[in-house]
Amino acid sequence: MSLAAEAPARAIPWWLKRHETLLAIILVIALAGLGAANERFLTVDNLLNQGRLMTEIGLIALPMTFVIITGGIDLSVGAVVGLCAIMLGYSWKNFGFPLPVAIVFALAVGGVAGFVNGLVITRIKVPPLIMTIATLALYRGLAEGISQAHSVRGYPEWFYVLGQGDLFGVPTQLIVLMILMLVAGVALDRTIFGRTLYAIGANETAARFSALSVDRVKLVVYTLSGLASGLAAIVLVSRVTTTRMDMGMGYELDVIAAVVLGGTSIFGGSGTIWGTAIGLAMIQLLKNGLALTGVKGDATIVVIGVALILSVLIASSLQRRRD
Amino acid sequence: MKARLLTSTAATIVALAFAASGANAAGKWDGADDLPTSPLACDASGAAAPEAAKPYDGGQPTNPPDKAGKEITLVDVPKLIGIGYFNATSKGMQDAAKELGNVKVTTDGPTEAKIDEQIKFIDNYITRGVDGILFAANDPVAIAPVLKKALSKGIHVVGYDANSTPDAREWFVNQAQFNGIGKAMMDSMAKEIGEDGSFAIVTSTFTTPNQARWIAEMQAYAAKCHPKMNWLETVEAQEDNNLSFNQATTLINKYGDKLKGLFGMTSVATPASAEAVTKAGLCGKVAVVGLATPNAMKPYVNAGCVKSVVLWNPVDLGYAATYVMRAVVDGKLKPGATSVEAGKLGKLNVVNGSEILLGPPFIYNKSNVDQFDF
Amino acid sequence: MSAAAIAGAARAQNGGLRRFASQEALLALAVIGLAVVVGFINPRFLATRNLSDLLLGNAYIAIAAIGMSMVIISGNIDISVGALIGVLATISGSLAVAGAPILVSWLVPLVLGVAVMAAQGAVVAYLRIPAIVVTLGMLSILKGGLISVTGGKWITDLPQNFHLADLSFLNVPMPVVIMVLATALAAVWMRYSASGRAIYATGGNAEAARLCGVNPQRTVVMVFALHGFFAGIATLVYATQLRVIQSTTPPGLELTVITASVVGGVSILGGVGTVVGSTLAAILIAEITSALVFINVSPYWTDALRGGLILATVIADILRRQRRAARGWSK
Repeated sequence: MSLAAEAPARAIPWWLKRHETLLAIILVIALAGLGAANERFLTVDNLLNQGRLMTEIGLIALPMTFVIITGGIDLSVGAVVGLCAIMLGYSWKNFGFPLPVAIVFALAVGGVAGFVNGLVITRIKVPPLIMTIATLALYRGLAEGISQAHSVRGYPEWFYVLGQGDLFGVPTQLIVLMILMLVAGVALDRTIFGRTLYAIGANETAARFSALSVDRVKLVVYTLSGLASGLAAIVLVSRVTTTRMDMGMGYELDVIAAVVLGGTSIFGGSGTIWGTAIGLAMIQLLKNGLALTGVKGDATIVVIGVALILSVLIASSLQRRRD
Repeated sequence: MKARLLTSTAATIVALAFAASGANAAGKWDGADDLPTSPLACDASGAAAPEAAKPYDGGQPTNPPDKAGKEITLVDVPKLIGIGYFNATSKGMQDAAKELGNVKVTTDGPTEAKIDEQIKFIDNYITRGVDGILFAANDPVAIAPVLKKALSKGIHVVGYDANSTPDAREWFVNQAQFNGIGKAMMDSMAKEIGEDGSFAIVTSTFTTPNQARWIAEMQAYAAKCHPKMNWLETVEAQEDNNLSFNQATTLINKYGDKLKGLFGMTSVATPASAEAVTKAGLCGKVAVVGLATPNAMKPYVNAGCVKSVVLWNPVDLGYAATYVMRAVVDGKLKPGATSVEAGKLGKLNVVNGSEILLGPPFIYNKSNVDQFDF
Repeated sequence: MSAAAIAGAARAQNGGLRRFASQEALLALAVIGLAVVVGFINPRFLATRNLSDLLLGNAYIAIAAIGMSMVIISGNIDISVGALIGVLATISGSLAVAGAPILVSWLVPLVLGVAVMAAQGAVVAYLRIPAIVVTLGMLSILKGGLISVTGGKWITDLPQNFHLADLSFLNVPMPVVIMVLATALAAVWMRYSASGRAIYATGGNAEAARLCGVNPQRTVVMVFALHGFFAGIATLVYATQLRVIQSTTPPGLELTVITASVVGGVSILGGVGTVVGSTLAAILIAEITSALVFINVSPYWTDALRGGLILATVIADILRRQRRAARGWSK
């Protein structure tokens, strides 16, 4: 993770002006401090393990970056994680789907959940925050109703490879996250799709007049958000070996914290996947480093809150001075 | 297009409503995990159906360092921190640590009862390096992988309050068996509202494992020993004081005279239900029976609005868990043992293969509530 | 000059206000309609006692939603309100138990609420950090800090006269009186005062508001300070209702409050909505929760149905606005 954080700083000098670079510097300083305070912190084992633990939030943070760049928001992601986890377990156990089919089915449910958000947001013009606050309640409720509060357990051993196994010594899900992060980052930086997202976020009306397919792109973005939440649900179920309807509760705030810490403007129009990656790593490693140094959970939350405000404050004021 | 969307939304909601009303509000409760229930005998002896003695079914740490008699560092990761119940277990652990003199124990955990947060805490302590982990699981299965990881690193693992799958820990200190709680709750209620009274339940969530199993055991025991009692409804109220109060009030208003008793399944729901009954002016007309800590219940017990509260002593629970851990590290509690010495609590029995039973739940009332402070 | 400008802004807003007056009508209709339907299925629902309990138990949500609506109308958001209410309740209760005069234990949460929120507003307005970042950070700080300090020890043995919520005025329970008064005052103030108008102007278009002589920064600080004040009042109702204070943050309260505001017709894009709408919405949501118990819906499905009904209300509102807007243009 620290690699991903430092690389942009060294490779691309003009990024020095950017929020991501400043954050990366803050991150490196924090890591060095915590590393000096505890020799168990900066070990390969610990860092990889932290990568495993942050994958679910990371997967959802990718499309959330897209969503927020368009000026929208998706608060329903945690509820979609719960719904997809339940659909995975329920379809496997009650419909008798083979597990691979159940996995695809759960992903599809996530996609549909996101698609419904996108459809109502683009067609009926319900503001995203309102729509997804309503579906937050609805999807979580569906998960409870369908499961009748039952958990599903006893998945076959091979399924746990995704959540607990390693590939070349790296946690399987972390590899998945890295690949998707790369794809998302390139898509945002280098493709028409990515440009369109910025254009929508900067000025939606102007984007429409420029003949950009604003609605279709938004629909895709919310569907991606649902799909990623579905994937996160599968990874989570595989990691903890059980399915419960309250899975993913509160994820929305963790995801948004990582994205905005990474420099994506909540008003839309700016932000990068790389920034999100740094924000994500920063929160996870800060929590872990503090815990290893002997700071308790309640105090850690306070530090995270202060760090969130301060780092955005420092980064934005430095940026303003440079400009 | 828009109209069609609206129509389909409406149709979905109607369909949902049908699906919902089709389901039976007071259907069979199976503890959300399809495990069998084992109701105790109806008489005062409370004898369970004789069980075959189970062999040890707990796990074993891999090559733990020999710390017999030496100072050990423990971490306690409860379901969540910042609630009275786990403050009390934590106090018991500190008491035991002080008595033993060679144990250091810290309590640390998530601020909300979330499974993945709890896993992260345990994981961090494994990396940091401790001699033993005490836990109360938010989910018995979800916590298993990380506990097995601890065992594989030579860390001793003992649970209390809420169990994990047996092979993921060495021992579990059981405060009271599920069927014991079920019997104590139903018998108390039957005594207060009679054998043909109607009652409703306020619980945290249907997925919380302990509450779900207690309700399942209560239903099984009621079917066997109080068959004429009328089970009206069970509602969820999270672990939220005001929501519990509102839900209890709703039940009182819905059923009116028909409602004779309310069960509170958590230390939050029980005082809130008692408050709702008090506010409605129905003290003595609607009985409140439940699990709760004494301090929160004192006003209602002393006012005579609540006659009996079922609970074990959580301070003793934390105390026992620490003694059990010490005995495991010292090699005094080995697979196959039938009992363990736990300081002032004396000898505790091993049941169910790898569980240590704290004792039967006790019922406190006006005569003894003021003796407790937690 | 600035007076003329505000009059101009007011004129611009007036059309908006008239248009959204019917959002409140729609909500009121929903509240009554639901009561009639549920009352038909189970007449007990309509008992005075039940309706009064319904308002009583949820008044604090409606009161907190007043301030939240102002914040959202000004184009911001606050995620820290639930945690703040938890902290203020703990402080208030601790003071009362420690023997402070009751008035002090009632006033301190109001003052602290204003202070904490005004500080957040200042960071948002003058340091230009998005409100969602500041309040998300504050949520963590308050939540973690509360547990660090109290260890979650419940506050019991509250003095009898601490329980403001147990009082009543002309036989109406105090929480309901406070809810109605707070809503009415806030609504009138927002509609007729220059500073109330400034909130709409700032949320609608901060740059235009500035050109019209409104100071958007000062307005944002004021809005947050007021939000803190209403959070303080909500705390009084919340903390004095029961015999114990949990000294933890009420789970998910911020979402409940935000939901009430947005269902009440406050646009998250800023500039439109009223606090009458948010109060009615808070009542409607509480009514739905209670109604689902009364009509014997399976408890497993209540959350899904509540979510579905909230969604339906929101969609109906948006469609109605669009039809009106379309008709307006065609004229």
